[in-house]
Amino acid sequence: MRANFIFSEVWIGLRRNLTMTIAVIVTVAVGMALLGIGLMINSQVSSLTTFWTDKVELSVFLCKKDDVFPACKNKPPLNADQKAQLKQTIQVMPQVERVDYEDQAQAYKNFQAQQSNNVLLSVIQPDDLPESFRVKLRNPDNADALADQLTGRAGISRIVNQRKLLESYFGFLPKLRNMALGVAILMVFAATLLIGNTVRLSAYNRRRETGIMRLVGASNIYIQLPFVMEGVIAGLIGGVFAAVLLIVTKILLFEGIQSYMAVPLGWNTVAGVITFTMAVGVVICVLASFITLRRYLRV
Amino acid sequence: MIHFDNVTKVYANQNRPALDHVSVDVDKGEFVFLVGPSGSGKSTFLRLVLKEERPNSGAIHVAGKDLARLSNFKVPHLRRRIGCVFQDFRLLPNKNVYENVAFALEVIGKPRRFIRKVVPEVIELVGLEGKAHRMPDELSGGEQQRVAMARAFVNRPMILLADEPTGNIDPATSIGIMKVLDRINRTGTTVLMATHDAAIVDSMRKRVVELEDGKIVRDQSRGVYGQAY
Repeated sequence: MRANFIFSEVWIGLRRNLTMTIAVIVTVAVGMALLGIGLMINSQVSSLTTFWTDKVELSVFLCKKDDVFPACKNKPPLNADQKAQLKQTIQVMPQVERVDYEDQAQAYKNFQAQQSNNVLLSVIQPDDLPESFRVKLRNPDNADALADQLTGRAGISRIVNQRKLLESYFGFLPKLRNMALGVAILMVFAATLLIGNTVRLSAYNRRRETGIMRLVGASNIYIQLPFVMEGVIAGLIGGVFAAVLLIVTKILLFEGIQSYMAVPLGWNTVAGVITFTMAVGVVICVLASFITLRRYLRV
Repeated sequence: MIHFDNVTKVYANQNRPALDHVSVDVDKGEFVFLVGPSGSGKSTFLRLVLKEERPNSGAIHVAGKDLARLSNFKVPHLRRRIGCVFQDFRLLPNKNVYENVAFALEVIGKPRRFIRKVVPEVIELVGLEGKAHRMPDELSGGEQQRVAMARAFVNRPMILLADEPTGNIDPATSIGIMKVLDRINRTGTTVLMATHDAAIVDSMRKRVVELEDGKIVRDQSRGVYGQAY
């Protein structure tokens, strides 16, 4: 096998089909970049899920004086003994890990820290906010069952599963991921067809050479390798562009929303994603080339 | 060297066989003319020897190998022992004489040192010394065919197949081509040449196998072109 012979053939082939080669490179680059973005969002979603799962609590809000919640209407708020009793009741439940009491002053502090709406800040007084128990669960999946058990008890106005709140905030991420992956699959499909077409053109342009190679007894691999290499090189260049796009995405997009994400997307993950997408790109190119060669280059 | 035993070839979508129960034996070192009108099966015969086509029935042995049992994987190795020359030369227009001949060795992975030694020898054998760096379009038809012959012979094949090699060349130049073929034959290479050219067949006085409608109608040592008529 003579490497420089193969490479000069590959170079000639790529240059003759320049426009097709560019189309292949662009499609592979965009397709692989979208695949990579999908994978990066995916890793972000799963690390966020584990991160927040550790933190979510069940908030059990208590009735305050003259509360408007239906559960509290015309009922006096719990006195200190009753509160202690309720806390004890929750505490002994098998699913519960820990129960913390949050009084109105603490609730107001938290409210001030989270809220940036000045009107609300000026209107709401500590008395307006309910006291609550913050229930930490051993297994957050049991939150709904526990909420059902507690609903209806005297003195409880409302039970909020924080996970549901989070899901409404971060629910768009899986959707974004699915969209990116969906478009990536389409691009991979387009890339496959384009590579097939490029190889076909290339085989047609070089039919004279390949005809002679067949006659003088060149082995199949010698005849086919230049065509497959064309696909591989186009795929690799596309992969490099995809890698650049992914790095830019990481810097501009993922670092921009880092503050909401709590778990930063590490460079290790990005490197893994880039390696994977490049491998996928090259494998697709090789397969597409081989399949087309079977049809258009009779050996 | 080439052994056809009751070979029949029918192309798809055609009723009439291109070759009809043909049996022929060509020994090592023979020079055989394959004659007959267009469509008589000469080209099919050559394509069968190269295993470019498969027979519908019958057995073909080339260089001691049963072609029916030869796996596709080994077909290139068979073709390395067979040289081919065509009416239309089939040179690469963007390579010069030397490169065209060297191409045949490059693509079967021969080392460069070997190529540098052998190619000039073969160019000299076909009578093109001093023209190694000409491009094909700077050469006459006869010279181009010599390049094609050099390329076919450069790997020292056991068999040389020539499909109407003088078909595009004037009679005077054809004599030169035949001299080169004869020279190649004298090195021990079996030569099988399909042709219409009566004058050449008559002048060479070699074995003649005549095909008509896919059947062998004559097989004569030291024959001439039109004797059967």
